[in-house]
Amino acid sequence: MATLATARAGHNDQTRVLDLAFPGDAGQAPFSRADLVVTGVDHSTLSYEVRVFLNNPDATAETPRTADQGYAGRYTVFGHGGCYGDEGHCDVPEPSADATDLRPRHPLTPLTTFVTITGALQRILAAGQALRTVTLVPVSLTPRRADRAPAPELLEFDDVSLQTYLTATDADQVTIA
Amino acid sequence: MAVRKNANGLTPSEVAELREAFEASYQLGDDRGYGFLAGIHGLPLPVYCQHGSILFLPWHRAYLYFLERALTDALRAARGDRTVAVGLPWWDWSSDVAHAEGVPGAYLPTDDATNPLAAGPVALGPSDLQLVRDNLPGAISDGDDPVTLRDPDVPDELPRQTTVQRVLSSTTFAGFTQLLEGIHNGVHGWVGGAMSAVPIAAFDPVFWAHHSMIDRLWYLWQLSPLGRNPPASLLDRALPPFPMTVRQTLDISILGYEYAAQVIG
Repeated sequence: MATLATARAGHNDQTRVLDLAFPGDAGQAPFSRADLVVTGVDHSTLSYEVRVFLNNPDATAETPRTADQGYAGRYTVFGHGGCYGDEGHCDVPEPSADATDLRPRHPLTPLTTFVTITGALQRILAAGQALRTVTLVPVSLTPRRADRAPAPELLEFDDVSLQTYLTATDADQVTIA
Repeated sequence: MAVRKNANGLTPSEVAELREAFEASYQLGDDRGYGFLAGIHGLPLPVYCQHGSILFLPWHRAYLYFLERALTDALRAARGDRTVAVGLPWWDWSSDVAHAEGVPGAYLPTDDATNPLAAGPVALGPSDLQLVRDNLPGAISDGDDPVTLRDPDVPDELPRQTTVQRVLSSTTFAGFTQLLEGIHNGVHGWVGGAMSAVPIAAFDPVFWAHHSMIDRLWYLWQLSPLGRNPPASLLDRALPPFPMTVRQTLDISILGYEYAAQVIG
């Protein structure tokens, strides 16, 4: 597991590079799916996407999203774009320990998201290499496309972990009309 | 029974009827109208929508149900015809036509700038409008009666069919909803403009076509051998402000609509 606090600043301080080793000390279990799970994601701000590159600590917003660059996928945070209440309205309270508190959670409670990186991780392993770094490249999704830009200030999370699974195969696919 | 159809397969008369329904709803300034219902998602406060939550799919199914019913009521009143029913079309952003053309043609601006599906009125008070303009430039138009704006990305950046298939291969409700919500987020960002921000996204008419697609995928997964109900502990959860529980959203036939599998002729 890697945290935002332990992440290194990448290219021009616009990206964050996490040290995440796989296989780690525990060795590699068979897997058919690998997810990069991100917890504590802030969504109070502008919407943004995070492009994920494996073993490419120099990746930037200009880096092609291609396999040879280590591109593994992206996730999008659908944001609120600021606070619309009075002072304190958007401060997320600590979870209540009161069993009689039946109120819904605060709308800005940080969330958990993930991006499936199976193909990119398998390519690394098939080449006889190991995963060393994960580079997160945040890009704002402003209402106007012309305003979109690298946005490290939007990238707020608690931690990132790699989770692998043995899951459904192609044979389980659903055909849609 | 309302029938939801592919937005790219609507006949001219179906498009005209949908536009008439939205326009009639825009004219209602009370709690039957579009402004009120679109505002439930975000602004004006409180923000009711469920995102990053396991209630994402049930809450939005309830939301579409109430908007669809309101559109039908508005169209019936406008026409004096108690027999018409509006079905919210779905925008299949993973389809070949979407990857070539982007937003469905029925939702694009017309030459005479009168298409009510191309932009929706943003019925907010002055202070909220100011905050939106300060925080989200390019989301809504200028002036006293703003409407939603869009700034879509290139069509081929929309989600792909392989991604949809991966979602439909989910084996748990939690996994399914998380994957689908992630794709949903990307489409909001793809459309840009008002759709790119939670507080005002629902004022854009294409919001409903996007969410009809999301709801349809949930429905298809429910029908599939892999489909699972939400955890039992969730089934009696309320979905405010709607007087519904999660359990009451699970069967769309009880909600009075269906998804057309194929339309010929």
